[in-house]
Amino acid sequence: MALKFLVVDDSATMRRIVLNSLKQIGHESFVEASDGRDALNKLSADDSINFIITDWNMPEVSGLDLVKTVRANPKTANIPILMVTTRGMKEDIVEALNAKVNNYVVKPFTPQVLREKIEQIISSVNV
Amino acid sequence: MFNGVQMEMSLNMEKLFEKLGDLKSFFVYGQKLIPTLQKIMDFIQDTVPLLESVNKSIAESTAKIPKASNQLHSVSSATEMATTEILDLVDGISNELNSIFTKVDEVKTKVQNQSELSKRLKEKYPDDQDIQDYISHSITLEELELFQSVSNKIQESVMNITLALQVQDITSQQLSSVNHLINSIQEKLAGLLIDLNSNGKEKIVNKEENPLDKAAFNENARYQKNNESQKLADELIAQTNSSKSQEEIDKLFSNTK
Repeated sequence: MALKFLVVDDSATMRRIVLNSLKQIGHESFVEASDGRDALNKLSADDSINFIITDWNMPEVSGLDLVKTVRANPKTANIPILMVTTRGMKEDIVEALNAKVNNYVVKPFTPQVLREKIEQIISSVNV
Repeated sequence: MFNGVQMEMSLNMEKLFEKLGDLKSFFVYGQKLIPTLQKIMDFIQDTVPLLESVNKSIAESTAKIPKASNQLHSVSSATEMATTEILDLVDGISNELNSIFTKVDEVKTKVQNQSELSKRLKEKYPDDQDIQDYISHSITLEELELFQSVSNKIQESVMNITLALQVQDITSQQLSSVNHLINSIQEKLAGLLIDLNSNGKEKIVNKEENPLDKAAFNENARYQKNNESQKLADELIAQTNSSKSQEEIDKLFSNTK
């Protein structure tokens, strides 16, 4: 099944870098959102989104709150989520894992790391 | 009766002298106090200009902070714009490289066919010098692969440039953090102004809206390529995945520092 990514980041530069990295590893289907609230709107409007890549620090609704909201909704609860963030402290990572992110990438990242984490998620859950 | 009046007058005079005595003591005490009061007055006179100067200095500093905040926003916007321009150029190079790769694949197929044809011609006309020269000057598959390998290296470098541009997001968060800090200082300074001069409150209310004020940020954002944080994340995820019971997960997360 083809993956359709929802890429959530308030930085247009970062969204573009994530999209370029995804293209480099062979993915072509994306939707962009500039913060957690925008992401929730895009999710409710598009049932075909089956993978979320989100930043943490964003205005309006943060990435962590987005994860919690997605997990709390039975319709979206099983969508794999990869957190891509500058937050690299242990307590941050633990907080994200407690919120049930599937994997965690610390910026700056390489496409290889992104590919590895996406593949790990795909092999562990049924996308 | 006369004696009674005389006695009463005498008592009143005594009281009057007593009061005059008190008054005299008060004046004597006052005389002693005057130099001290004078010193206090002098001190206040000296202090007032100093306080005014401090107040003015705080007012000026408070007024300068929005400018500093706007400058931070300008830096952030300029770097974002420059990053977008670099990304546009990098995407352009990347697209050109993709065209080259497609073309090289086509040429490779042609060269492969040509190589087989050359081999046959060489065998068929071993004594024809022109054919032998033509074959020896033809482009080889190895040369084409070398060209492809160089192009691959350029593409890798292009990707590394893109990745290095993540620094823009990280520095932007650092600038937002500094902006938050100077806004806090401005509020404190304005608070001091309010105590000395009510104009300070107006200054903070009149502060221009700055997009950096609304930006979310991680104050610990760092551009580090040492992968330490990624390794930590990987370890924690591996431990979480291997922990079978909720009890084990709780135990793992209980020691987060």
